[in-house]
Amino acid sequence: MSLDNAVLTTDNCRYCLMCRHVCPVGHVTRLETLTPHGWGLLISSVQRGLATWTDSAVDKLYSCADCGTCQSHCVTDQPLPAAIAEARADVAAAGLAPAHVVALNQTIERWGNPYREQEPEAVSGTGDVALFVGDEALYLWPDGLQAALSLLRAAGIDPVLIGAGRNSGYIPSSLGFPETARRLAAANLADLQASQATMLLTLNPGDAYVFGTLYSERLGIDFPANVELKEVTALLAERLAAGDLKLRRGAGGPPYAYIDPAHTSRMAGRDAAPRQLLAAVMPAPGRELFWRRERTHPAGSTSLRFANPMIAEHLTYARLGDARAAGAQVLICEDAGTLNVLASLAPRFGLTIQGLYELLAEQLEGTQGN
Amino acid sequence: MNRFQFRTEMIRSELEDIVGQHFVSVDESDKLVYSTDWSWMPQMWLDRGQPLPTPDYIVHPESAEQIAEIMDIANKYRIPVVPWGGGSGTQGGALPLFGGILVDTKRMDKIIEIDEVSLKVTAQAGINGEQLEWALHEKGLMLPHYAAASRCATLGGYLAPRGTGTISTKYGKAEDMVLNMQVVLPTGEIIRTAPVPQHAAGPDWPRLFLGAEGTFGIITEATMQLDYLPEARLLRAVLFDDLSKALEAGRRIMTRRLHPFVIRLYDPESTRSQVKKVLGLDYEGAYMVMGFDGDPDIAALEEQKALAICTELGGQDVGREPGETWWEHRYDFYYPPLSLHLPWMYGTTETVTTYDKIEPLYWAVKRAVEEGFPQWNIRFIAHFSHWFHWGVMCYSRFIIEEPPADAQEALQLHNRVWQAAMQAVIDNGGMINEHHGIGVKLGRYMRQQYGDAWPFMLRLKKMIDPNGIMNPGKVGFGF
Ligand SMILES: Cc1cc2nc3c(=O)[nH]c(=O)nc-3n(C[C@H](O)[C@H](O)[C@H](O)COP(=O)(O)OP(=O)(O)OC[C@H]3O[C@@H](n4cnc5c(N)ncnc54)[C@H](O)[C@@H]3O)c2cc1C
Ligand code: SF4
Ligand code: SF4
Repeated sequence: MSLDNAVLTTDNCRYCLMCRHVCPVGHVTRLETLTPHGWGLLISSVQRGLATWTDSAVDKLYSCADCGTCQSHCVTDQPLPAAIAEARADVAAAGLAPAHVVALNQTIERWGNPYREQEPEAVSGTGDVALFVGDEALYLWPDGLQAALSLLRAAGIDPVLIGAGRNSGYIPSSLGFPETARRLAAANLADLQASQATMLLTLNPGDAYVFGTLYSERLGIDFPANVELKEVTALLAERLAAGDLKLRRGAGGPPYAYIDPAHTSRMAGRDAAPRQLLAAVMPAPGRELFWRRERTHPAGSTSLRFANPMIAEHLTYARLGDARAAGAQVLICEDAGTLNVLASLAPRFGLTIQGLYELLAEQLEGTQGN
Repeated sequence: MNRFQFRTEMIRSELEDIVGQHFVSVDESDKLVYSTDWSWMPQMWLDRGQPLPTPDYIVHPESAEQIAEIMDIANKYRIPVVPWGGGSGTQGGALPLFGGILVDTKRMDKIIEIDEVSLKVTAQAGINGEQLEWALHEKGLMLPHYAAASRCATLGGYLAPRGTGTISTKYGKAEDMVLNMQVVLPTGEIIRTAPVPQHAAGPDWPRLFLGAEGTFGIITEATMQLDYLPEARLLRAVLFDDLSKALEAGRRIMTRRLHPFVIRLYDPESTRSQVKKVLGLDYEGAYMVMGFDGDPDIAALEEQKALAICTELGGQDVGREPGETWWEHRYDFYYPPLSLHLPWMYGTTETVTTYDKIEPLYWAVKRAVEEGFPQWNIRFIAHFSHWFHWGVMCYSRFIIEEPPADAQEALQLHNRVWQAAMQAVIDNGGMINEHHGIGVKLGRYMRQQYGDAWPFMLRLKKMIDPNGIMNPGKVGFGF
């Protein structure tokens, strides 16, 4: 995104209040400044010389979760999250980014991820289908990754693993370090090319958004036109419907709810597949959270967990509170980052966190080929 | 430390003692954002790089009791208290013109009770309109105040300026849905109105808080009447080549005991510009949307009767789709860049009057605006969107696409256009406003609007708010 576009977007958003009702950060902080309009006005006011990037203004700038819910509810599709990332890039280039964010970027530059001081793994081979593993699935919720692989194999797919241990590029892009993001994107796409795959699977909607949209919108890098991009849940749901994946229905258990992962709103219609899969294995329908489907709020796992851990934790509490209000005792998700943040606080709410892929893999009946 | 700094710090720590440190902000970026609501004047001012008056403290209380304590501080130090809901008001009602304590009600967003027997909801005043609506939908219910601002406004903000929603023609204004309220008075007392509004136990004093725009206190809780979500909503559009006939059709529909939930009649200029730009419908003439809801058979029958009235007056039925398009996209008009936007100049000079006066009033305001400012290529557009048994609201707007670049000059021109429009409204028997409220913009017309009754209102204000702390400069109550 060019700076001109960012200016145009924030000029549009600065006096618009039409998506504030879905902004998760605005919702938990109740602060006008931390709403789409607030960020738009702050950035446009700096451009007009009415404000400067003081420490506290920068702190506000780094409080947007980059969840995309505003844009997906915007009738005119204003790319506000990208404009905020662009403003952060300006701030970072001027040496004004928060020290902890700068340090985080250095870690990502060195290791390719913010979680573990370990080099990313090499591409696991070649094949028609590749699976982007990324960093969170490998380091934060590895059981989910193994379960997803079992499910895929049961459905007749043995994917080539790419990008294992490497961030998609979302975190540095979101935090105002597009060059770091570009390097990660280039490495991930090089892995994809090396795999020779014509289909790329992602374990969550966030990664699908990054490959399908963020690379081109923010980094100017096109996703290869000959590669089909798909979420694992969508593929499994298709295979289930076609009878190529057999799942047993489980025994009764406590009331549960599915929590839509971060970035769901960015991927229209993606909320159906996980529910179809759950319906196949659960003995009773789940509860629905208030903040669900296209209006879902992230659980504190986006780039916000690094930029503003306190607000991110508010989001985690809010999601757990939402689950409790819905009467759920078990909260199910497939996204490693979401599961990771929820698990740390769930016991305080008397809730159990359960990985969707693990739950499905336990109910595998058998396999059937392509 | 000078004495002002000392005082500032004293007040800040007293406020922090009430709501907690985290909920008092004196941060410059917060002050900037809270310095403007959705009115054109402050937005233009910032757009031209000019700073605005800001609040001294932005406070987020969580209860009526905390607000009562805030009132005590304001009275002690004689500083303003400015209620702020969603900041979506268009008249500058929430502007902190004289600094002081800005009370953002959004932390008070709990639904206290949904009563599925009597169909009512009790909620705190800071709840977001759309979020409240979603919660009601989960139970098959709705609060039928469908304001275009529901995505950004609060329940308290619906009531304080006497808002009107898009389906008001059947369900009434927001004020018609209130059963009772809790209010914190400027003196710090917390009062509750009677449980139900229709009774004979004395005068209807609770209505004083509706339309006071925070000058008589802060509404902290309200119980609102609900409705079931309708089983069906039938929408249809009719095209008239004559605005006069279209207005007459609306009058007949309303007075012949039909109950449309919406009649929205765009004047030819609005049809040509707004309807085309936002809805993509390319019509000449006056485009009218009408809708009937509830039991599908009854709705269909009422629609048929209304259509017959329209046809008799020369209206051409253009079918369901253009009606449904409006319903699905009715809020799209407010998303930039589809909405009116800076650096343009614009103002919503809306008014309401009885059927006998509405047409002359429309033409008088149109003439006053168009003929008064031709050098600015001014445009005048209007639609008629809230219909009553006795009359209709005219939502008129003026637009200048190339106003003066200088902020002060622009503001002066804005005031001159408003003056021309409001004078035409008053001279032709209209009210200076139907649902956006008075705020700061229209305060100067209150004396003219109310004549001999105005001093009485000033005395009321003095009695309710002896130190003049509540939202000074608004609703014509001065500073
Ligand atoms: C896009 C858009 C569309 C709109 N469409 C409509 C519409 O269809 N119908 C309509 O009626 N209006 C509409 N408006 C105008 C405005 O949004 C409404 O008047 C709205 O109800 C104001 O609510 P708010 O919570 O934003 O109040 P604010 O703007 O925060 O405040 C408005 C006034 O009420 C006072 N106030 C706020 N809360 C309280 C409280 N709890 N107690 C006492 N005083 C209080 C404030 O001090 C101020 O004077 C629209 C505005 C926008 C931006
Ligand atoms: S993203 Fe769209 S709806 Fe949200 S503030 Fe910007 S213009 Fe308004
Ligand atoms: S990206 Fe998310 S947190 Fe940021 S403004 Fe949009 S909705 Fe709010």
